[in-house]
Amino acid sequence: MSASDEEIHALVRQEAGDCLQRMEANLMALESGEGGSAEIDAILRDAHSIKGSSAMIGWQEPATLASAIEDRMERARETGSLPNKAVDPLLRAVDALRRAVNGEEGVAAPLVEELAALGVEAGDEGADSPAGRGAPPRVEAAARAAGSAAAQAPTIRIDAAKVDRMLDAVGETVLYHRRLEHTLEGSRQEGRQVSEELDMGERLLGDLQDSVVQMRTLPLSMITSPFPRAIRDLASEEGKEAELTVSGAETQLDRAILEGISETIVHLLRNAVAHGIETPEEREAAGKPRLGRIDLRAHQRGGMVAIEVADDGKGVSAEILARAEQVGSLAEVLSETGFSTAGEVTEVAGRGVGLDAVKRSVESLGGGLEVQSEPGKGTEVTLLLPLTLALMRVLLFELGEQPFGLPMTSVGRVVAVTDTTSLGTRPSVEIDGQVVRLSHLAELAGSGWKVPERSPAIVVESLGRRLAVLCDELIGEEEVVIKSLGAVLAGVPGYLGAAILGDGRIALVLDPNHLMRAPKGKMAVDQPEDTTERPAGQVLVVDDQFSARELQRSILETAGYRVEVARDGREALQRIGEITGLDLVMTDVQMPEMDGFELLEAIRADEVHSSLPVVVVTTLGDEASRKRGAEAGADAYIVKNEFDQEALLETIERLVGR
Amino acid sequence: MSVVHVRVRVAGEHYALPVEQVLEVADLGAIASVPGSPAALIGVRNLRGQVIPVIDLATLLGLTGDQPGRIVVAESGEVRAGLLVNEVLDVGELPPVSEQVESRYLLGACLVDGELVGALDVDAVLAPIAPPGGSA
Repeated sequence: MSASDEEIHALVRQEAGDCLQRMEANLMALESGEGGSAEIDAILRDAHSIKGSSAMIGWQEPATLASAIEDRMERARETGSLPNKAVDPLLRAVDALRRAVNGEEGVAAPLVEELAALGVEAGDEGADSPAGRGAPPRVEAAARAAGSAAAQAPTIRIDAAKVDRMLDAVGETVLYHRRLEHTLEGSRQEGRQVSEELDMGERLLGDLQDSVVQMRTLPLSMITSPFPRAIRDLASEEGKEAELTVSGAETQLDRAILEGISETIVHLLRNAVAHGIETPEEREAAGKPRLGRIDLRAHQRGGMVAIEVADDGKGVSAEILARAEQVGSLAEVLSETGFSTAGEVTEVAGRGVGLDAVKRSVESLGGGLEVQSEPGKGTEVTLLLPLTLALMRVLLFELGEQPFGLPMTSVGRVVAVTDTTSLGTRPSVEIDGQVVRLSHLAELAGSGWKVPERSPAIVVESLGRRLAVLCDELIGEEEVVIKSLGAVLAGVPGYLGAAILGDGRIALVLDPNHLMRAPKGKMAVDQPEDTTERPAGQVLVVDDQFSARELQRSILETAGYRVEVARDGREALQRIGEITGLDLVMTDVQMPEMDGFELLEAIRADEVHSSLPVVVVTTLGDEASRKRGAEAGADAYIVKNEFDQEALLETIERLVGR
Repeated sequence: MSVVHVRVRVAGEHYALPVEQVLEVADLGAIASVPGSPAALIGVRNLRGQVIPVIDLATLLGLTGDQPGRIVVAESGEVRAGLLVNEVLDVGELPPVSEQVESRYLLGACLVDGELVGALDVDAVLAPIAPPGGSA
């Protein structure tokens, strides 16, 4: 080999190295959903240039491999997208090409074969064979290509299963910590140090958990980028004009949810085009612009992510709306099996499948479905999805000496059931002037039950309805790892799963949507009842912890007090200024923004409210804290560990002076 | 061909499970009942961090059980469940089944030491249970 050959080889190698680096970056961009046709073209150019220069100097292997990559990318250029499953083999082909360029032999053949086999497999890779399928599958194909975008991470590539295993391990560690906390419960009062160490551990574990959960989240944009184009094409096939606008695509979702929801969103978009948007002529006749609008919006709503698909089409008919009013939920009516809003069966969506499939898929992910529609104006479907599948904040309660949980996202508040009215034949309770049906878990088993004399009920809000679920006692709010009940119990409805608590007991986590549905027949129509005004003291409960707040509320309401709540000192001060006839403030100490002592000091310093009785309720049982409370002017100091309902009520009664 | 089985007593009768499908024998433990599940499902139990359903074999086989004793944790593929038995008798070879039995949960029966032993079809026992009132 002459010196000049050597020089040329070095040059080709160097050029190829640059090309390979770019190819890698572009493949990753395509995989993460950030790339598009520009990246596909760039990869093609680089593969082509390696093929050319390798062939020129007689390097067979690199030339063959580069050519195979080029072929695969040609197909991607034709379809406008690269299926995610093709990325991994292509990345490995790039690695092999790098080795081949550096003189390694026998690396090309297996990958050339693998690349050739890619996309030849029929069926599950629609983007590769648009001609081989029926008219409308382009949307699904695009969604699938992007939706299966599992392995993300532009900087480090980690097998998704490894992250899942890590999350499992973190979940178990959290459980272990709870067990430890439980075991050390007795020592908590003794030493502040034990308490502090445990709290520190909890905080650290929380951070760890959050960051692992974040590793599993991906932006919605992973699946949305092909939609606008697909919608335009789909509409034109239907003889319609429609434009899709996507907003909030940066909203983060759990990878598993994202994968599970992609087809559902496609279904809704197709529905919007087929059932919602009218033909341009119809739209003009109705005084609307020819171009129909479809909006895909995503945003976080509380602990959930809301994904809305809204169109400005014809909406549902007045008859359907009337029926929805009867049943109590439009989503419910539209998702009855076989319900379709299309008058005639069209190729796209009118297969007699209504929203039932959408609903099932959303509910299987622990979410819910809401639908709003106005005849002539349009329809808006909202998918409410949990942020993550693995962890859930639940409100735990006890019933029949067994713990149960309800997702916090569905819990409105807790009420004390004292007076029950009956709505038809069903016992109900009045909340904020509305009659809300009472429910007992015995209903799940189809058994009867009696309204207890005095008991807390958790107001569950789901699918736009409210229901009060009776329980014996509240345990508290906790973040739990949800485990499946398994295949044996797969047919038993009503549960999202089970959680193992710190003490080893199993809490079944209820599916609020199932509870809503429970008895058939006419749904509860809200009929405001006249409230018999009873003279009672009014108490403001201040606590940053939902469960503690609601527990105190339920105790006080049961005893006949009217209760207002605030989440921290600052909010409390504001409420104190607003509420007329406030008799007493009950406050926690440790709270964000403004703590209980600061609140107490602020009340004492306020001219108008300085004589307001304040009861401090806290976990801080040590002398110093008690002293500080007394100095700040607390009328009573109650330690949560010594929490005794009767004593609390006596104290309050004495202070309120009734 | 004889296969090693775990013999158990359920409501006074003898049954056997292939030893390959038995993971362990455990105490009854604390069972959380699952409202809405069929009668044969007693509930779920925490077995070292795993949530496993516990099935009452007596009810499933249409017998009237007496004192429940232990749980035989069985598996069928990926599916696991605890089967409630009165007592685990022994582990030994079970001769091929010789008697036909009218039960979807039994493969058949055979005689061991003059005692009729029902060979449990673990796959059928661990199949998804239809909820009460369900069509299945």
